[in-house]
Amino acid sequence: MKKTKLGEFEELVLLTVIVLKEDAYGVEIKRELEERLKETLSVGSIQSALKRMEEKGFLKSEFGEATAVRGGKRKRIYTATPLAVQTLEEIKEVRTQLWASIA
Amino acid sequence: MSKNSSHITPPKWSTRLLRLFLRGQYLEEIQGDLEEVYHDLLGKYSKSKARRIYHLEVLKLIRPSLIRKFSGSEKLNNFGMFKHILLISIRSFQRHKTTFLINLLGLSTGLAATLLILLWVQDERSVDTFHEKNDHLYWVMSNFSINNDVNTWNYTSGKLAEALLNNFPEVKDAVRVGNDFFRPRGTIAFDENYFEANGLFASPNFFEVMTYEMLIGDPEKVIADKGSVTISDEYAQSIFGSIENALGKTISWDNRIFSKEFIVSGVFKAPPKNASIRFNIVLNYENLVEADEWADHWNGGYAQTYLLLKQDTDIDAFNAKIADYLTINTDSDRFQLFVQQYSKNYLYGKYESGIQTGGRIDNVRLFTYIAIFILAIACINFMNLSTAQASKKLKEVGVKKAIGANRTALIFQFLSESILLSIIALVVAVGLVMLVLPQFNHISGKELTLISWKEYILPALSLVLLTGFVAGSYPAFYLSRFKPVTVLKGKFSNLRGEEWIRKGLVIVQFSLSVIFIIGVIVINKQIDFTQKKSLGYDREAIITFREAGSDYSNPQPFFNELMKIPGVLSTANMSGDFLAADDNNSGFSWIEGTEDDDNHLFDSPKVGFNFIETLGLEIVEGRSFSRDFNDGVSSIILNEAAVEYMELENPIGTKIGWGDDREMEVIGVVKDFQYGSLHKKIEPLIIQFRERGKQYFVKLRPGSEQETIAQVEKVFQDVFPGQIFSPSLLADDYKSLYDSENKVADLSNYMAAIAIIVSCLGLFGLAAFTAERKTKEIGIRKTLGASQLIIFQLLTNVFTKTVAIAILISVPIGYYIANSWLQNFAYSIELSWWIFAIAAISAMLLAWFTVGIQTIKAARQNPVDSLRAE
Repeated sequence: MKKTKLGEFEELVLLTVIVLKEDAYGVEIKRELEERLKETLSVGSIQSALKRMEEKGFLKSEFGEATAVRGGKRKRIYTATPLAVQTLEEIKEVRTQLWASIA
Repeated sequence: MSKNSSHITPPKWSTRLLRLFLRGQYLEEIQGDLEEVYHDLLGKYSKSKARRIYHLEVLKLIRPSLIRKFSGSEKLNNFGMFKHILLISIRSFQRHKTTFLINLLGLSTGLAATLLILLWVQDERSVDTFHEKNDHLYWVMSNFSINNDVNTWNYTSGKLAEALLNNFPEVKDAVRVGNDFFRPRGTIAFDENYFEANGLFASPNFFEVMTYEMLIGDPEKVIADKGSVTISDEYAQSIFGSIENALGKTISWDNRIFSKEFIVSGVFKAPPKNASIRFNIVLNYENLVEADEWADHWNGGYAQTYLLLKQDTDIDAFNAKIADYLTINTDSDRFQLFVQQYSKNYLYGKYESGIQTGGRIDNVRLFTYIAIFILAIACINFMNLSTAQASKKLKEVGVKKAIGANRTALIFQFLSESILLSIIALVVAVGLVMLVLPQFNHISGKELTLISWKEYILPALSLVLLTGFVAGSYPAFYLSRFKPVTVLKGKFSNLRGEEWIRKGLVIVQFSLSVIFIIGVIVINKQIDFTQKKSLGYDREAIITFREAGSDYSNPQPFFNELMKIPGVLSTANMSGDFLAADDNNSGFSWIEGTEDDDNHLFDSPKVGFNFIETLGLEIVEGRSFSRDFNDGVSSIILNEAAVEYMELENPIGTKIGWGDDREMEVIGVVKDFQYGSLHKKIEPLIIQFRERGKQYFVKLRPGSEQETIAQVEKVFQDVFPGQIFSPSLLADDYKSLYDSENKVADLSNYMAAIAIIVSCLGLFGLAAFTAERKTKEIGIRKTLGASQLIIFQLLTNVFTKTVAIAILISVPIGYYIANSWLQNFAYSIELSWWIFAIAAISAMLLAWFTVGIQTIKAARQNPVDSLRAE
C-alpha cells in the first residue's frame, strides 16, 4: 500500500469528517462517532487522531465560528484532502477484493 | 439544559493544567471543545460527575501529539544548562585528574564491595522462600528441658503431624519428613550401575505442601504407597539418561535403614540453589516406620513436622495452645512445642536456653554493616576532596552568582557533578563485580550470577543516586552558600571550621579502618587457634569413610584385609559421626539404688575395638575396649570430666545403670579431649561400645598415602560390592567444622583490605591537596632555612594527630566487637594488647606512608619554583 499509513481509528475519524462536511469539528465528530460506534470516546483520542492526520496531509483545517457554549472559543473545521479521499478509496478497494476472494 | 448555560465554567485547576501542557496553537480549539463537552455532560449528569469526567478528559489529553514539545525557548535553556553542567564537570575531572581518579577509584571499589555484599545478602535472605505457601508454612520445634537447661530440637514425634492436623482447626495441612539422622542415603543400583542416594522420608502430601515442582507424575500420588519413589530430574538424568525414561523403572536401594526395591513413580525438579534441604529421591515415610516402629511413636523423635496454617492464625496464641501437647501424649513433661516460620529457620536457627538468639542472620547483619561502612568511607573521600577544593571553585561560584545564578542552580550543579561521578563509578563497579564474581563465589560458597541482575538494577541505581547525593550534598550546600562579593575579593573566612569537619571525617574513616584491622587479626588468630589447638587426639594421616549399606555383619574380615596393606597402621570403626559430636544420651544412674540420676544429657559416642588406639586418645586409668576381655555393650569408658561430674573416687569398676534394664561397668578413663568443634566445651562423656559401627577410620603410614588409599578402596570394593567409597581426611573434616567462620574470615579479609585502601586513597588526596596549598609557605620556610625534615614534620603532624585520635576511638570499639565475636567459641584466643598495638601501628604506618609520598615531593621542591609564580 501507500507509504503513509492510515490507522483503523484514524480511518473512522476521517470518514466521519467527510460525512459531517462543514460541521466537522472536534466535539461534533466525537458525538457522531460515539453514536455510530455505541461507545464513549475521549476528546483526547479524537483530537490526537485529527492532529496526526493533519500532519500526514490527510486533513486541512481552519477556524470557524465561536459559540457561547464554547466560552467564546472558535471551532476548528476540518476537511479531507484529495489525498485522503484517494487513500480511503484504495483501502476500500483492497477490502472489497479480499471479501470477494473469501466468497 | 439550563438557561444560563453559557456562564458555566469548567473546573479551574483542570483548565489551568490544560494550559500548562497543551501545545499553544491547539489551546483555543481544544479548550473550546472541552467546554462544549462539559456543557453536554452537565445536561446528562450531576455536577460532580460531570466534573469528574471533565478531569478525566483533560488527563486523557496528555498525549505525545498534543502536549508541548520540549523545544522552543524552554528547551534551549534547560538543555543549555545540562550541557553546561556536563561540560564543567568533565572539565573539572580533567583539570583535577588525581582527585578525579581517587574519587572514581574509591567510589567504584566501595560500590563494587557493596554490590557484592548486597548480592550475597539477597541470596541468603531468599533461602527457602521459594515455597509457594511460604507465608503460612511453619516448622514445629520442641524445647527439651533438662537440668535447668533447654535444648531446642527441630525434630519431633512422627505422630505429631497427623495429630495436630486432626485436633487443631488452625492447621490446614501437615507434613512429616524423616529428620536429619534418618535420611536414607546409601546406594541405588540400576542395570549394574551404582549411584549415591540422598533420600528423604516424607508423608504422601509432601509435594502438595512444599513447592518442589513435579515434572512427571501426580504430586498427590507419587509416593502414596510404600513401593514407589520419586526422583529429581538431575538424578533421573544420571541414572536413566533422561527423565522420561525414569518412569516405571525398578531400582534397588541399599542403605543402613533398609534394602528394598522400588518403582519410580515420578520426577521432580531438583531443589533450587537456595533450598536448605537437598535430596534427590523421596519415598513414603511408612518405609521408615516399617524399619523402626519408633518412627511412629509418641516417644520417638524421628520426624520433622511442617504445618500449613490458616491465613489468619495468631501464631502466639497457637504456640500457647500447642506448647504442652507432647506432655499430654507422652510420658514426659520435658517438651514444649512451638512453631517457627519454615523459611526463617535458615537465618534464625540458633537457640540458647530455648530462646531464639540469631544464627546466620548475624553474618548477614555483619556484612550489611561492613557494606555500609565501606560505602561511607568512599563517600567521605568524595566529600573531603570536594570541600578541600572549595577554594578552587570559589571563583567559579562567585562569577556565576554575579551573573545571576541562584543558589538552587548551584546546588543542582554540584549535585549533578557528584551524581555523574557516581554513575561513572557504578559502571566501573559493575565491571569490577563481573571480574571478581567467580572468586567471590569461590570464597562465599555461593553461585551468585549477574543474570539475576534485572532485579538489582533499581536498587543499584538508587544506591548510586543516594551515594552521589550524600557525597555531593555537603560540598553542594556548602559551596553554594558563599557570598559573591567576598569570594571574588578573595576572602575565605570560614576555612578553619571546614578543616575541622575534614579532620572529623578522616577520624571516622580511620577509626573504621582500625576496627577492620583488629577484626581481621582476631578472626584469623582464632581460626589458626582452632586448627592448631591440641584436641587430645590425632587427626593427621587418618582417613575416614562410611559404608552406607544395610549389611550389619561383623566388620572383622574387612579389618583383617585392610591390615594386610603395608601402608595401613591401624583401623577402627564407630557408629555415627565422630566430628559432628551429636550423639548423646540421658537416663544414666551411677549411685546404687537410684535411677536416672538428675537426668544429665551425656555426650556419648559409640565406638568399636581399637578406636581409642587409632585416634590416639590417652587412657589415664583402667584399659581400653579389648577382645581379650570380651567387651560388649556393657563396657563403658568415661572421660575425666565425667568422672569429676559423677564424683567417682574409684571410677574403674563402677556400675552405671541405663534405662530400665541395662547395667554397664566402667572399664577405663580417658584424658579429656575435644569432642566436636571448639564451639563446644569439653563436657562429661560416656564412650559406649558398638562392635559393628559403619564409620571406618584408617590410620595411614606417612609417605605412601595415595597408594594406600587406592589399596584401601580396592579392599572396600571387594568386601562391600556396590557401595561407594568416598574417603576424607579427618583433618579436613575437622577444618570444615569451621566453614562458616572460614568464610567470614576470608570475606572480611578482603573487605578490610578494600576499606583500608579506600581510606588511604582519601588521605593521599588530602595530603596532596594540603601540600599544594602550602606550596608558598614551604617555599618561604625553606628560604628562611628550614630543613627538609622540618617541612616533612610540618606536613605530617596534622595527619599524625588525626590518625592518633582515630586509634584512640577505635580500639575500645574494636575490643568490644572482637570480644563479643569470640563469645561464640568455648575455647578462644586471649585478646592480648599486641593485637591492638599492631592494628594501631599499621594504621599509623599506612597513614605516614600515604602522606609521605606527597610530603617528600613537596619538601624537596626548590623554593624558587614555588615563589616565582607570584
